[in-house]
Amino acid sequence: MAWETVIGLEVHVQLSTRTKMFCACRTTFGDPPNTNVCPTCLGLPGALPVPNAEAVRLGTRAALALGCTVHPVSVFARKNYFYPDLPKGYQISQFDRPLATGGRVAFESPERGRLEVGVTRLHLEEDAGKLIHDRFPGKTAVDLNRAGTPLAEIVSEPDMRTPADARAYLVTLRQILVYAGVSDCSMEQGSLRVDANISIRRPGAPGLGTKAEVKNLNSFANVERALEAERERQIGLVERGERVAQVTLLFNAGSGEVRPLRSKEESHDYRYFPDPDLPPLVLAPEWVADQRLALPELPDARRARFELAFGLPAYDARVLASEVALAEYYESVVAAGVEPKAAANWVMGDVMTSYNETGAFPVEASRLAALVTLVRDGVVSHQAAKRVYAELARRPDEAPGAAAERLGLLQVSDQGALAGWVDDVLSEHPAEVARYRGGETKLMGFFVGQVMKRSRGKADPKGVQPVLQEKLR
Amino acid sequence: MSTAALARATGERLAAADAAGLNATLHWSQAQLDAEAARVDAMPAPGPLAGVAIAVKDNIVTTDMPTTCASRILEGYVSPYDATAIRRLRAAGALVAAKANMDEFAMGSSTEHSAFGRVRHPLDPSRVPGGSSGGSAALVAAGVVPAALGSETGGSVRQPASFCGVVGVKPSYGRVSRYGLAAFGSSLDCISAFGRTVADAAGVLSAMSGHDPLDSTTLDQPPMGVPGPLADLRGLRVGLPREYFPADLDPGVAAAMERTSAALRELGAELVEVSLPHSAYAVPTYYIVAPAEAAANLARYDGVRYGPRHIGPGGDIRALYQATRGQGFGPEVQRRILVGTYVLSAGYYDAYYRKAQRVRALIADDFRRVFEGGFDLLLTPTTPTPAFRAGEKTADPVSMYLADVFVCAISLAGLPALSLPAGRSEGLPVGAQLIAPFFADERLLAAAMTLEGIIAPDAEVR
Amino acid sequence: MSIGRDEVLHVARLAELAVDEADLDRLVAQLNGIVDYVARLDQVPVDGATDLFLPGPREVALREDVPGPVPLARPPAAFAPEFADGFFLVPRHGAMEEP
Repeated sequence: MAWETVIGLEVHVQLSTRTKMFCACRTTFGDPPNTNVCPTCLGLPGALPVPNAEAVRLGTRAALALGCTVHPVSVFARKNYFYPDLPKGYQISQFDRPLATGGRVAFESPERGRLEVGVTRLHLEEDAGKLIHDRFPGKTAVDLNRAGTPLAEIVSEPDMRTPADARAYLVTLRQILVYAGVSDCSMEQGSLRVDANISIRRPGAPGLGTKAEVKNLNSFANVERALEAERERQIGLVERGERVAQVTLLFNAGSGEVRPLRSKEESHDYRYFPDPDLPPLVLAPEWVADQRLALPELPDARRARFELAFGLPAYDARVLASEVALAEYYESVVAAGVEPKAAANWVMGDVMTSYNETGAFPVEASRLAALVTLVRDGVVSHQAAKRVYAELARRPDEAPGAAAERLGLLQVSDQGALAGWVDDVLSEHPAEVARYRGGETKLMGFFVGQVMKRSRGKADPKGVQPVLQEKLR
Repeated sequence: MSTAALARATGERLAAADAAGLNATLHWSQAQLDAEAARVDAMPAPGPLAGVAIAVKDNIVTTDMPTTCASRILEGYVSPYDATAIRRLRAAGALVAAKANMDEFAMGSSTEHSAFGRVRHPLDPSRVPGGSSGGSAALVAAGVVPAALGSETGGSVRQPASFCGVVGVKPSYGRVSRYGLAAFGSSLDCISAFGRTVADAAGVLSAMSGHDPLDSTTLDQPPMGVPGPLADLRGLRVGLPREYFPADLDPGVAAAMERTSAALRELGAELVEVSLPHSAYAVPTYYIVAPAEAAANLARYDGVRYGPRHIGPGGDIRALYQATRGQGFGPEVQRRILVGTYVLSAGYYDAYYRKAQRVRALIADDFRRVFEGGFDLLLTPTTPTPAFRAGEKTADPVSMYLADVFVCAISLAGLPALSLPAGRSEGLPVGAQLIAPFFADERLLAAAMTLEGIIAPDAEVR
Repeated sequence: MSIGRDEVLHVARLAELAVDEADLDRLVAQLNGIVDYVARLDQVPVDGATDLFLPGPREVALREDVPGPVPLARPPAAFAPEFADGFFLVPRHGAMEEP
């Protein structure tokens, strides 16, 4: 009998500020331990928090980008628990009055088509420090550089039904947040962290099953793997007649297994109450409206515009809109006069290959546009243009036409030259010539390819075919 | 007198007070005083407090002396930064002379709950000086320093001022930065001042006051001015809240209040009975709100980053937490942490904490209504009795809490108030409390200075 | 409402306070005294009263995102109970361990 899986995600993203959430220490990653610390983030007697305006702005931007309602009044609260990475013995977070509620993220689910997942809430909070267990025998080392770093916690509704949904949601969420410029969302550096809640139930059953929380998910692929493993574990339990217990699990990426975290005794009673050190956060509606106006076009809107305005296939539009830089580059190439589909092919091909490797664009958009125009005008062949592109990447000052000329890659349509390459090819392939003449005319493509190869891409393919037909008659 | 000579004289008085067994200081040294004098002398211009030696309650952090909050859990701790109040006092030319003994973490009303021994009342060593700022009050009362810093959470400056016969002023919440005051009840805590006179206390408060970008709860207002006494108090309407004059009020206190009322009338003020019905619930409200905030505020004392560390059986992190905190905090602090944890815990929050916040709003509303009804000040006794004997209330925590019955409500409402010496009952000082509307600190001080001019504080009232 | 021994021990665990078994009965009695006393707020009608009373500013003032923390006159090594190679040290986690 089938089971339905119900998944909700809690995502923490580090907001791209220069200083911490409640003190003016730097948020630099990788500094020597306990150097970016002050009385406030060390939790020294008498120190007090003062919120960072930029963290509030970025949190608001993130909330608006996710379609949330940003509340005119939200309240910082203390979440009380003891842990050596938590200097004050409480985390300043937001509890019953968060910054924003009620958003949604729309994306293409690999199995279920277009899907919308609700965003329950987005709230601001401070990060904890870092614990290192393997450096000193018998000791845990505490580094508080990260303590107090501003985070937005984004809680989804339990709207996902498969581990693949969860992954697709995360990919889209990250795109939106990077687009909005609120976080670099790097899982490697820990600026995006994911906890997943998962339960199973019979399809159509009312209510939710007992959920487990899976932590330690350090890549999107591992989110999917961990949720698959936990889904199987829960189904196994229930089908053996056992019950799913409410538990926190850790995913081991090496073994692909989830296992229960030793329980933090008593940790469920966080005794939240409004932080008396911090009056309410009050945001003027006009300011929130300004933040909404200041948002860039988001990935979904850009994708739709690429389809509509440029006539791109849905796949192309989605790939090109997936990252701000890629989309901007693509639009620059089109703006320089290149036919949109031709530009898309180029950007999704050689350009994206190098962008994915280096994170940069080795050939600026205007030079790529000039190169594509040479192809359109028959000055260089498509094949030759790829070699010219590689050359342009090495020589930032050279114009595409000059490069093609220097490399001898200008397209040749001179009948004499073409006839020479055709003769060479035909004499090298007597068997194919015989077969062609015997009626196997689909070999024309083969001969054209050979001529192009022989000319090292310089032959004008449109001119080659008539010469071949003439000589094969 | 030169600043150096003043520092030496202050040192001699501190040494004498210590020798007399007052136990009012926790840290001071002549070398430290001399260094302060040299620093003040090197200032390009003398500040408004040039050469004024000030004792500081030991829950206000200083870089040049330890800050222990009179607790074993901070024994030997020296802060790596100065409180904003300390920075401003130093900038005004004051000498930070000594750290004063107190109830541990400011929790108490008698300064018997110090980990380093109780403070003696300067006039009668068998009695308490009040608390929790008892060391500061005793040092001013004994003439060791002209002014001292205390802190108020629920009356911890006004109450010992009353017991010791000095002036104790609590400013409006948010007038003086809390940055560097070890937090007890953050929504209540106010650095406050003791002085021999209202002017002494006012000068100190003025120097410390004003917006601090490091404290989100300070008011975005310029520093408080120091007013002078008025010619009279004609036109001033003073309310006498009937809930603060119970039938069983100590006769000495009642007599001192009669005397104060008469003095106010003599100055031309109009006295009218008013009502603050919710003040009856101030003490229970306070003993929910303050412990709840304290339970969170004192969580940072965990033996991880500073302070002495103890590790119990098991040797793990919880053994460190529980032994450090179990051995480091005294019994009253532990009781309040437990109560505060309890009232915030799952299932009890609404019944206790949320309820107390609502009653707090009603208590504050009573004051607002009376002041908006045309009253400028309120007059009440500061304490129900003069200084009680040491040991009298230590066995029953609630009886100790009731020593603050007349001061608590004002703290909950965040209002400015002061205690002014109003005579003596069988030799023991009795204080009169004046309360002003929010942010009317200067009006309060001016009226108190005027009243101070015609009340003989040492006269027997019975 | 009254607090029993188990409840006191539970709260003590939440607050990470070691409670001496010998003191427990007295502590339970004292806490009951305090809780019974504050429970008299039950009598107070509070309809319409706010549960977010603010003694000071109505809204929080924000800080510009400019580095410049309050400097430390002494580094963490000077006040830490145990410190090595730039780190605060604590016993390896037992009951709270996260692998």
